Amino acid sequence: MPTMTRAYIKASILYLILGAVLGALLLINGWLPLGSAVYYVKPAHVQFLIVGWLTQLILGVAWWLFPPMAFRLRGQDYPHGQAQRGSEPLFWVTFALLNAGVLLRALGEPLHARTGSGFFGGLIALSSLCLLAAAITLVVNMWARVRELGRGKT
Amino acid sequence: MPPLVRLYVRTAFVYFVAGFLLLALMALDGWLEFSRWLGAAYLSQLHLLVVGWITQLSIGVAYWMFPRFLKEDNPRPRGSDTLAWVVYICLNAGLVLRLAAEPFYRMTGHSWLAALVALSGVLQAVAAVGFGLLIWARIRPLE
Repeated sequence: MPTMTRAYIKASILYLILGAVLGALLLINGWLPLGSAVYYVKPAHVQFLIVGWLTQLILGVAWWLFPPMAFRLRGQDYPHGQAQRGSEPLFWVTFALLNAGVLLRALGEPLHARTGSGFFGGLIALSSLCLLAAAITLVVNMWARVRELGRGKT
Repeated sequence: MPPLVRLYVRTAFVYFVAGFLLLALMALDGWLEFSRWLGAAYLSQLHLLVVGWITQLSIGVAYWMFPRFLKEDNPRPRGSDTLAWVVYICLNAGLVLRLAAEPFYRMTGHSWLAALVALSGVLQAVAAVGFGLLIWARIRPLE
């Protein structure tokens, strides 16, 4: 399992635990009121589970298991190691953008709902841009690996 | 595919069908209005798909496919069977309890139903923590 995959999967498991604990707090709050602040964690619960857990787990496993690049067709030597998987720095950028997007949104949504401040509205917009950029960098990096297995095939 | 993995995946399939069956019934209910219960089951139906289907399938496949322990490190190649069962039972007990209690809680507001819904959340959180403990050491380079 490559280093990048381990980083993605470990982060995704942390989000699963955080998301499930926040979900439990939301449900407990319906029985024993824990305070009005609990209502504001709902966006973080959703973001952590859908993007932080499921999406990030899928990306990490895809990086690990998708077919390697087909370099021979471009007249290049077949690379070894991580280079077969595409650009590792770009995949780190995707990781940073995805997690920045999730965390900014989890922080920005409740603060914006509570204060109405334009600054926190800006944070939410920034988080969306981070997630969009993460999606674009991922697709650019992985597109060529969606192919038939075999070194000479496309 | 080990027996417990088959159980995870087949249970996930059942939730997949059940989730879309409920969705279809809810759509019919929006038109024919034959059940108050269906109108109150929206959140539970969503969790059947996100937790029961996608999350459970991911957990089952990860337990199956992630790098196994070396025999000298751990006699159980996939880690503790007991913990894997605890995760399975807590996840599914939590989901079923939520589906059974939440719509009636939304319809009646009874406190004891709220307690059951809260318990369902705790069970699912325990399952998440258990899965983290079960799989963390297997997120490692292949030997």
